[in-house]
Amino acid sequence: MKINPILLQVFRNRFVAIAEEMGVTLGRTAFSPNIKERRDYSCALFTNNGDMIAQAAHIPVHLGSMPLSVKAAIKAIEMHAGDMVMLNDPFAGGTHLPDITLVAPIYVEGMDKPAFYVANRAHHSDVGGMTPGSMPVATSIFQEGLMIPPTKIVGAGEIDRNLFQLLLRNVRTPQEREGDFTAQVMANLTGIERSKQLVEKYGLQQASDYAGYLNDYAEKILRQTITAIPDGNYDFEDCLDSDGFSDQPVQLKLQLKISGDTAQLDFRNSAPQVKGSVNAVYAITLSAVLYVFRCLIKEDVPTNAGIARPLQILTKPGTVVDAQFPASVAGGNVETSQRIVDLVLGALAQAIPEQIPAASQGTMNNTTIGGVDPRTGQPFSYYETLAGGCGASRQEDGASAVHSHMTNTLNTPIEALEYAFPFRVTQYSLRPDSGGKGRQKGGNGLIREIEMLTETEVTVLTERRTIKPYGLAGGSAGNTGSNLKIVKKSKKDLTGKNHSNLKTGERLRIETPGGGGWGKPED
Amino acid sequence: MLIIGVDTGGTFTDFIWQNGDKCGEHKRLSTPHNPAEAVLAGLKHLAGEQPFQLVHGSTVATNALLEKKGARTALITNRGFEDVIEIARQNRPKLYDLQVKKNPPLVPKELRFGVPGRVDPEGTIIENLTAADLQPLLDDLKQQQIESIAVTLLFSFNNPQHERLIANSLQKLNLPISLSHQILAEFREYERTSTTLINAYVSPKMDRYLGQVAEQSGAETFRIMQSNGGSISAATARRESVRTILSGPAGGAVGAAAIGKQSGQEKLISFDMGGTSTDVALIDGQLPLTTESTIAGYPVKVPMIDIHTVGAGGGSIARLDSGGSLRVGPESAGADPGPICYGQGTELTVTDANLYLGRLIPNNFLGGGMQLQTETVRQQMEAFAARLDLDPIELAEGILAVANSAMEGAIKKISVERGFDPREFSLFSFGGAGGMHAVELAKLLQMPQVMIPTSPGILSACGMLMADVIKDYSQTVMLSEEQAKHALLDELFQPLMAQAKTDLQAEGVADKRIELQPVLDMRYCGQSFELLVDYRENFISGFHQQHQRAYGYASEGKPVEIVNLRLRAFSRPDHQTPQALPNVGEQLLAEVTLGQTQTVFDGSWHQAAILDRKKLLHGNRFSGPAIITEYSSTIVLPPDWQCSVDRHGHLLLTEKEGKK
Repeated sequence: MKINPILLQVFRNRFVAIAEEMGVTLGRTAFSPNIKERRDYSCALFTNNGDMIAQAAHIPVHLGSMPLSVKAAIKAIEMHAGDMVMLNDPFAGGTHLPDITLVAPIYVEGMDKPAFYVANRAHHSDVGGMTPGSMPVATSIFQEGLMIPPTKIVGAGEIDRNLFQLLLRNVRTPQEREGDFTAQVMANLTGIERSKQLVEKYGLQQASDYAGYLNDYAEKILRQTITAIPDGNYDFEDCLDSDGFSDQPVQLKLQLKISGDTAQLDFRNSAPQVKGSVNAVYAITLSAVLYVFRCLIKEDVPTNAGIARPLQILTKPGTVVDAQFPASVAGGNVETSQRIVDLVLGALAQAIPEQIPAASQGTMNNTTIGGVDPRTGQPFSYYETLAGGCGASRQEDGASAVHSHMTNTLNTPIEALEYAFPFRVTQYSLRPDSGGKGRQKGGNGLIREIEMLTETEVTVLTERRTIKPYGLAGGSAGNTGSNLKIVKKSKKDLTGKNHSNLKTGERLRIETPGGGGWGKPED
Repeated sequence: MLIIGVDTGGTFTDFIWQNGDKCGEHKRLSTPHNPAEAVLAGLKHLAGEQPFQLVHGSTVATNALLEKKGARTALITNRGFEDVIEIARQNRPKLYDLQVKKNPPLVPKELRFGVPGRVDPEGTIIENLTAADLQPLLDDLKQQQIESIAVTLLFSFNNPQHERLIANSLQKLNLPISLSHQILAEFREYERTSTTLINAYVSPKMDRYLGQVAEQSGAETFRIMQSNGGSISAATARRESVRTILSGPAGGAVGAAAIGKQSGQEKLISFDMGGTSTDVALIDGQLPLTTESTIAGYPVKVPMIDIHTVGAGGGSIARLDSGGSLRVGPESAGADPGPICYGQGTELTVTDANLYLGRLIPNNFLGGGMQLQTETVRQQMEAFAARLDLDPIELAEGILAVANSAMEGAIKKISVERGFDPREFSLFSFGGAGGMHAVELAKLLQMPQVMIPTSPGILSACGMLMADVIKDYSQTVMLSEEQAKHALLDELFQPLMAQAKTDLQAEGVADKRIELQPVLDMRYCGQSFELLVDYRENFISGFHQQHQRAYGYASEGKPVEIVNLRLRAFSRPDHQTPQALPNVGEQLLAEVTLGQTQTVFDGSWHQAAILDRKKLLHGNRFSGPAIITEYSSTIVLPPDWQCSVDRHGHLLLTEKEGKK
């Protein structure tokens, strides 16, 4: 069968539009600020064997893990029309517990099995566990919240209320969870309706054929991209500062082999999984690799299963890049994912130095502050990630104070923060000279300093506090970040992964890492 | 009295005039090096020595921003927050890009100055600022060759004392100063800073330009179109140019709404397809407003007409990408070199595909002023088709299909995704290329009717003539549901209303003609986005209802908060509704038909009549296939559609009765 370039483009527009419209539905009907404002969710469409056709991408860390979730759901449960399956189990396609995926089949007339699937994943701001926000400094998955294996939560169009009540009883903010979950159901319903309309217009055969061709299309473009990279073996290693329980760095190793139009990424020599929560499940490693290769593609391709095909990823179960039950994994998603990107870029920089930037800040600087608001008497919980410097490239300086790689969420405005929480922001600025020196300079990190107007509990889950973001081609590394507690005029250094109590008038000062420089300064 | 509307565009400056029940139009080439030249020449041509009133939509402010050629501006903030404008919202514009590029701030680090002093969320001063504190700043600023100043302090909308003190202290510099509590009295410091800074950045240029036009045109009154769909006096526009930044597209939407209303069509989707891009807006009885606009990557949070733009137009280039998919746009051949058929271009465009399929008449383009290169297009289309192993007709139709699917997506974004059903709307098509695509698009979206106004090429100027005088005000208050009693809200609205009345009187509006429309920005506590709710007796239940409609659910028990007060003050001018034209019946005049041509519809050639739009009269009715030509546009009527001419000369295209 001949592929028609016109239909290929028309189908691509339509599949992408379906995923995007699902995203709009989810964003608009969700309740929590984390979904509405920070846009921490993704929606996608899948073939009947779980290959992704198109994803409305907002969060790169969902790239590889969405398909694994869908495949896990298909494998575990036979879905009939009107059914939906939910899951968050990091050891069955999930990444960390707050990310809940909801999968639904699409049945068209005359078919006794699904023609397509739709799925969406949203970050819920609490799924139980030892601390509010379900991102604790934990040592086991059981402390991080409620684990949901693939579970049929919607049967023939009806939510299973008994099961749902059980879930809601185990989280801190059941009403908000219910609103967000309903939004996920609505998003899938939108996707189902639009997909059915598409099949009605073009016929199932043609729609399925072109879903397949779109995967081939993305694959073809990535193969061309890889072919342009010189064949060879490129090794790289980098470390996480620590797991939060010992001072020992956690080593990550990659052997990258480019041959022809394929790439093999061997992470098997990375450190064994650790006590603290920086363990990444395989889905995260896959997502980070797909993200880097997706960035190498110059064409604006739909993000789908095709881009995974030329890549072979090898990991050893039980390591920090392929963590096994019952490891704690909350930080793997937000921190280790960034280091895996650094690793892949570091290896590629040896092959195509002119295209690869130095290391960016390599952390999301997760900050959680909780307490009781004296103005209302109500408990509050504030979660934020902070931007930092980007790595410089051969072409230009690194950008300053911006989220890099695996995240791209918005900040909370100072004025919104002071209205909502008993804090006063005393400084929010660039952090001068924190980017690495070089022919092109690394981007600067930023400084956010918050004065507490009441007693608070502060948790920071951060990286690049002891090991610097690397420079390339003779450029210097970016500065490490720091987390400080300021009492009167004296500064006390907090560790990278820390839980402390702050009193009224004390300040938390976070200085985020700079990006690495590129090239020797005198060149 | 003679009233003249002028819209400056990239290629043409359009004029429309009205005098009693007479009206007319005029077009001349724009003079980008000094846009005032074309404007002044046109005005002289139309008015001579007669007195006249002028309404103008200018691109001077827009271009200053797009080309980054605004004033050298200093930005003054609280100390420790000088970089908020550069940090922005921390996110990057493109997700999959290893070389992250952030929009550079309009004011460099060395022109950003921090001052002491701090106000808390309640408006209480918790750290003082004195005139003495500002002496070093004054000395610093004297060293810099700056042309304007922007001031944004945290929570100034709750207590503007410090911003005012800075303005007073810097008065001796004799420079225009934009204060954030005056430009946008709303919370969220980055967006307020951006809006205030853009005002300071573009106003000096606009001030010089409008000064020249005001002085040399001799207009009796001089009003400027704003992005919110209303006009303001030139004097205000010279100080607050940020409010005019998207005046051209706003004029188009206002014109569409006004003309639709004349013909009894209140539900429209306006569709303005130009050379490089297409603008669409949904008009459901009233013009859609947004406070979420971003221009050239910079947020501008003053209210604007909500217009969605997609990078597909007549000049969009067709190419095969490296994966084997046919792409159309966003790269455009623009006006230079233009499509192949204009004679200079080398890459096939949407316009070329229309010509190849016989939808564009080669010797009728621009009233016959430009002969289109049919032969070159044929050769290129056939060569490209051979490379793709496609039939050239299939390729040409495919180019149109890909462009149409992008425009269909744009219309779905403003309708389906916002809870509106396009099947309840008419597609209101204007702009040069729209008429060739409108019916195809209406079919894709199952819209029942396409409306094409008279003079679709100057609709924006027309809208300017019809625009109300409008001023928008806002104030962040952040009140809980318990606090938000009517007595308090009335009291808080009072200063806005007093200001609005003073301002509109200064605009020359009589007291009794001033209308005030108070609105609340509301949300559930904890949400981050607000809904606009009319301020009425039962505004709380109004909010729940609106939430239900917009988002599909409401939480009656949840506490609500009032974030901002908004006030729109306006005055409707006395529009002369044009007289209905006499109905001459269905039969076309013989001279309407200019000839016959061969046109492709759905893969096969049809004989289509070429009709002259100028000669079509009220009551005329005819069936496709037909190609209707006018000076700057062409309308394609497919075989299964029909057209009638309404009482104001607008064309209404509908599916033939009896079909389906």
